[in-house]
Amino acid sequence: MGNEELLRQVGMGNREAFCQLYHNTDRTVYSFILSIIKNPQDAEEVMQETYLKIWTSASAYQSQGKPLAWIFTIARNLCYMRFREQRRQADMGLDELTGDEVGVLCLPLENMTDAIVLKSALEILKEDERQIVLLHASAGLKHREIAAELGMPLATVLSKYNRAVKKLKQYLREE
Amino acid sequence: MRQDSGMGQLNTRQIEMHLKSALDTLTPNVLDRIDLSVPQDKLSGLERQSQAAILRLERRMRGLVAAAAACVCLTVMGGGAFHYHLENRQVESVIGIDVNPSIELSINRRERVLEAKALNADADEIISDMDLEGVDLNVAVNAVVGSMVTHGYLDDLDNAILVTVSNDSVRKARELRASVVGDIERTLKENQVEAVVYDQQVIEDETIQEISRQYGISYGKAYFLKELIDQNRVLSMEDMEELSAMTMEQIARRIAESSYELGELADQATEPETEPSAHETTAPNTTPEETSTEETASEEAQSSEEPSSETLETAETTTVSETTRASREELTGYETLIDFVDCEDGSVYVYFRDRVSWKNPSVVVRDGQGNTYAAMITDTSKNDCYFEVSGLEGGESYTFVLGGLSLSGDGTSVTVKGYFDVPEIAEGAADDEPDGDETEENGVSEPETWDQPDSDGEDITTRDAASEEDMSSEEETTKASEEETAISGGE
Repeated sequence: MGNEELLRQVGMGNREAFCQLYHNTDRTVYSFILSIIKNPQDAEEVMQETYLKIWTSASAYQSQGKPLAWIFTIARNLCYMRFREQRRQADMGLDELTGDEVGVLCLPLENMTDAIVLKSALEILKEDERQIVLLHASAGLKHREIAAELGMPLATVLSKYNRAVKKLKQYLREE
Repeated sequence: MRQDSGMGQLNTRQIEMHLKSALDTLTPNVLDRIDLSVPQDKLSGLERQSQAAILRLERRMRGLVAAAAACVCLTVMGGGAFHYHLENRQVESVIGIDVNPSIELSINRRERVLEAKALNADADEIISDMDLEGVDLNVAVNAVVGSMVTHGYLDDLDNAILVTVSNDSVRKARELRASVVGDIERTLKENQVEAVVYDQQVIEDETIQEISRQYGISYGKAYFLKELIDQNRVLSMEDMEELSAMTMEQIARRIAESSYELGELADQATEPETEPSAHETTAPNTTPEETSTEETASEEAQSSEEPSSETLETAETTTVSETTRASREELTGYETLIDFVDCEDGSVYVYFRDRVSWKNPSVVVRDGQGNTYAAMITDTSKNDCYFEVSGLEGGESYTFVLGGLSLSGDGTSVTVKGYFDVPEIAEGAADDEPDGDETEENGVSEPETWDQPDSDGEDITTRDAASEEDMSSEEETTKASEEETAISGGE
């Protein structure tokens, strides 16, 4: 069953469909969120919120053949809400990092190279570049799928991807 | 960092692998933490959604980027159906929009939408998440067109839109026509989409209604096609079946290819053949990162590559260079189907201008000397395909022939030729080869590929003149201008 159909089922209260959908999409969604939030711990929390929202709001999903795009919208909104919250707290004097500042990025990874490459990607790339790179590299989404889900022209996706990879290579070489 | 000696030499594939590995490890399993006993929202949120959807659409439309110009024609009908409700609820006009989705907007005297009807499944997709009732006509038109762009029915090539306006009063109809045309043009421009827009004048007609019913198409489209058939002796009602199933884009292409008369519809805008120039101008602009040699190398490679691909059609000979150039005219004619080609690490991605379907897809890859390379198609879709090739060398150009495609709406299987370049520093064959610096093929291949289809389609004759060129000349001449003049001047 495709994600579109699963989502429809979820809208009707089908828990199994929800679990299946979760397993189909978890890496993609996490990559997407991480590309915005950059912090793995926060990303994990947003991911949880996202899937909960998917559960509660699935019935509102209007079948358009792009379930991921809908999920991404939810995830993105939750990320931004989090930023706003953090910024507000920062304004109130609490020392919080916004999503834009990385600070010390702690990646609990054993493989050094994995960690370095991911950290570099999160640190030096712009948000849309991060998004495209992470979605493609980790979740295995093809460029045209990314283009469809993010609502960008394919050529743009390819161009940004190439530029991002080049930046990474350069950065890693100089490290 | 320096302890890890492999760091400075990561190629794209390795970077991707590390990212993948990192993310696989990091991705948490939060499923257990999600409390499914939390009640779901039932459709009460629908209204909220619709409003949000329109806002989202408008925001998204402003952000979308594509390419092109558009001409929109409106058709004004006289004597549409009227429903007698309160004045504001009386349908004054009906605006039809046909691309592939067919939509009808019924509006009142104050140009507010009373009803938005989807006439086919594609149209459902377009307007299903929109609540257009009560919305101003121009907003609705923008939303509809924007949605079509988002859903890919209007892409950045060869679109055609048929607009139909029906109103009792010719004067009012003319006004509406102008304003809706303007709206659509603006939306298309905002989305940087080109389209041929047909403009048709229809009146209420039983025959047309019957055609519309029988073939399951909108009144506007039925009228348009009937008009087309009437105006062209080579067409008859027997063609209606085929034509009615075609999208406006396909119809527009057929009209152009066959130079059909449009009669009253003749005042429609010119077709978007400006794409080549658009591409060509963008290419140079996108080369800040790449050296010009790469780009020109590819351009000439393209030109000198064309010949060798001919051998695939003609008999295999060892004297590839000569026969292929001589037989350059024997192109399948579908080369312009390719929009662009991207080569990355031995994977080649081909994107088409038009929708295609596949049956037994196949690919053959050759280099300038006619040698074949092991290649395998890994993925196909109606817009593109991927294939993988091994043994490619950096700095070389290759041609490929794809087989087993057919253009949508066309049953015959065709083959399509194209070419691509592997950049100087090879990232293709070997996994652990170090990457070059500025001459990264990834960054480079794009402007190149923007050029490719254009020079492919356009410069065929000029390349004829460049018969003296060798594959080796690609390496010798690195200056753009030299090659260019050689190509166009025929040396």
